[in-house]
Amino acid sequence: MQNVIVFVEHKSGQTRKVTFELATEARKLADTLGGKAYAVVLGTGASTLAGQLTKYPLDTIYTAEDADVDKYFLDPIVDYVEAVAKTAGPSLVLVPNTMLGRDVAGRVAARLQAGLTSDVTGFTTEGGKVVSVAPKLQGSTITGCAFKNTEYGVATVRPNAFEAQAGGGGAQVSALDKPAGKSYALVIENEVEEASGEMGLEEAPVVISGGRGLGGPDPFTTLLKPLADALGGAVGASRAAADAGWVPYSLQIGQTGKIVSPQLYIAAGISGAIQHKVGMQTAGTIVAINRDATVPIGEFADLLVVGDLFQIVPELTKMVEGAKAHA
Amino acid sequence: MKIVVTVKLVPDTNAAKRIDPATKRLVRTGLETVLNPFDEYAIEAALQLKEKLGGDTTVTVFTMAPETGKETIRKALAMGADDAVMLSDAGLEGSDVWATSYAMAQALKKTGFDLLIAGGLADDGNTGGVPGALAEYLGVPALTNVRKIEEAGDGKIRAQRETDSGYQVVSGPLPSLITVTMAVGEPRYASLKGIMGAKKKTIVTLMLADLGLDRAVGTDGAKTEVLEISAPKPREKARVVEAADGASGAQAIFDFLREKKLI
Repeated sequence: MQNVIVFVEHKSGQTRKVTFELATEARKLADTLGGKAYAVVLGTGASTLAGQLTKYPLDTIYTAEDADVDKYFLDPIVDYVEAVAKTAGPSLVLVPNTMLGRDVAGRVAARLQAGLTSDVTGFTTEGGKVVSVAPKLQGSTITGCAFKNTEYGVATVRPNAFEAQAGGGGAQVSALDKPAGKSYALVIENEVEEASGEMGLEEAPVVISGGRGLGGPDPFTTLLKPLADALGGAVGASRAAADAGWVPYSLQIGQTGKIVSPQLYIAAGISGAIQHKVGMQTAGTIVAINRDATVPIGEFADLLVVGDLFQIVPELTKMVEGAKAHA
Repeated sequence: MKIVVTVKLVPDTNAAKRIDPATKRLVRTGLETVLNPFDEYAIEAALQLKEKLGGDTTVTVFTMAPETGKETIRKALAMGADDAVMLSDAGLEGSDVWATSYAMAQALKKTGFDLLIAGGLADDGNTGGVPGALAEYLGVPALTNVRKIEEAGDGKIRAQRETDSGYQVVSGPLPSLITVTMAVGEPRYASLKGIMGAKKKTIVTLMLADLGLDRAVGTDGAKTEVLEISAPKPREKARVVEAADGASGAQAIFDFLREKKLI
C-alpha cells in the first residue's frame, strides 16, 4: 500500500479536530510510502468542510453531498469509502477511533479484505511496510503491528495522538459518483440530541472527570462544568457515575467507555481502578482530588490532592478564571 | 425468533498479563478467562428480548475459543441462554480481526439466526472491528451501539442507537446484526437454579473441517502481524498534597498547573 485515505467524520459540515490530525499524518505517511494523500467527506455539509480541508496537505478531497448518507445508517458511507479505495489502489485508510469511526473501520476492512489495526497512537514504516503502534491489554503492552497478505489496511486512530498542522494546501476537490446498484437497509427515522453541542470528549485538550465522590448529578454541572469551561475543556465521568445515572454513558471514560489522551486530566472523586485507568492513562498530566490518600489513582497520577473536592474545585475555578482575566 | 449472541473470552481485566516474546502472543497459562465485559451486556439484551417476546424465542451463545473456554461459556448459559455453539480449532490460533470474522461468519451461517447480538468492543484487543466485518461476511445490516431495542420481530427491528450527543431511532429488516452499549441494562447474575441448569445445556462444538472455508485463517490467513511489543513508559507515583481547606488544595493544583505550563 502506498496511498493514504482519511475518512472524515462530521455532522452537517462540523468536524472534529482528529480530522486535521489525520490529514496531517496522512501526508507524512504518503510521502514516506511514495503515494498520495486523500480525504473522503460524505453527506450534507461535505462541500463546505472540503473547503476547510484544503488548508491541509492533501492531494485530493473527495466529496459526496448525498442526502442518503444522512438518511440511511452507515451503508452509504461504506460504499463510498470502498469506491474511493478501489479507485486509489493499494492504500491505508485512516479513521478516527470514535463510535462511528470504529463502525466504518470494521465494515470497510471486510469490504476491502484489508487488515485492521485499532486505537493507533503512532505509525512507523519499515521497508515500505506500515507498522501501527497501539496500546493493548488495558495499556499494559505497546504493540507494533504490520499489515500482511493484503493490499489494503485500515487503522482506527486515537484522537489527540497526532499533531494537526495546516499548510501545504491546494488539494483538488472532486465530487464522487454515487456507487451504482446499492440498496440501503437501515433507515434513520429521527435523531435526538441529548447533550448540548459540546466538543467531543476524545479530543478535548482538558478533561475534568467526576466519579462516585460527586454524590449525585448536580455537581457535574455546578462544579465540574465551570472548571472545564475555565480551562477550555470538557466534562467526563467514571463508570460509577454513569451507572448511577448521574451522566449519560457518552461521558463515561474507561475500559467500557471512551479512551481519552488530553494534555490535562483532572479526576475529582475518582478512585482510579484499572477500568478507569485504561481510559485516561495516556493523558499528559493527571491531577486527582480525593478524600482518601490511599486511592489507586495515587499510583499513577502526577499530583494527588487529598481534600474536599466540593471546596477545592470552586476555588480552583476562581483562580483559573482570575489568571485568565489577567493574562 | 432465534437470537444468537457472539461472545469473546478474554483474560480477566485485573490480572497481570505477559506477552511471550517469541510468539508475541498473550501468555494465557494461569490467566483466568472471563466473558468479555461488553458481551455480558449483549447477553442481557438478548435475555430481555426473549422475556418480552416469549413464545419460541431462543438465545444461543456463540464463541470462537479453545475448548478450555467451555466453563466460561457455562456462565453465559447460567445467565439464561438456552444453548451454545463453540467454534474451536487449533487452526484458528493467531487469527486477527479479518480471519476471526471470516471464520465466525461461516460458522454463524451454519448456526443460523434472526437477530445476531454482539458487544461493542473487546476488553483485550479494543478493536471493535469484528461485528462490522461479521455483518459484511454474513450479508446482513449492522445496527451498532444500540441502547434500547424498541421492537423486534416479524422480520423487522427498530432500535435506539446511541451517538456521541444523543441517539437515533433506526429501523431495518431481520435478519440483522446489532451491537449494544451498556445502556441496555446491567447484566443479570446467574441464579443458583440457572447455574445448576447450565450444566445440562448443550454446547455444540464446530471445527474448521465443518465449515468448508475457501480461505486460510489462523496465523497464515491473518492480514496483520505483531512485529514488536514493548512496555509503556511507566507513570510515577503521585506527588501527594494534604489540603487543609479548599483554598490551599486549589492553590496546590493551580501552582502545579503553572509549573507544567498548563495555565
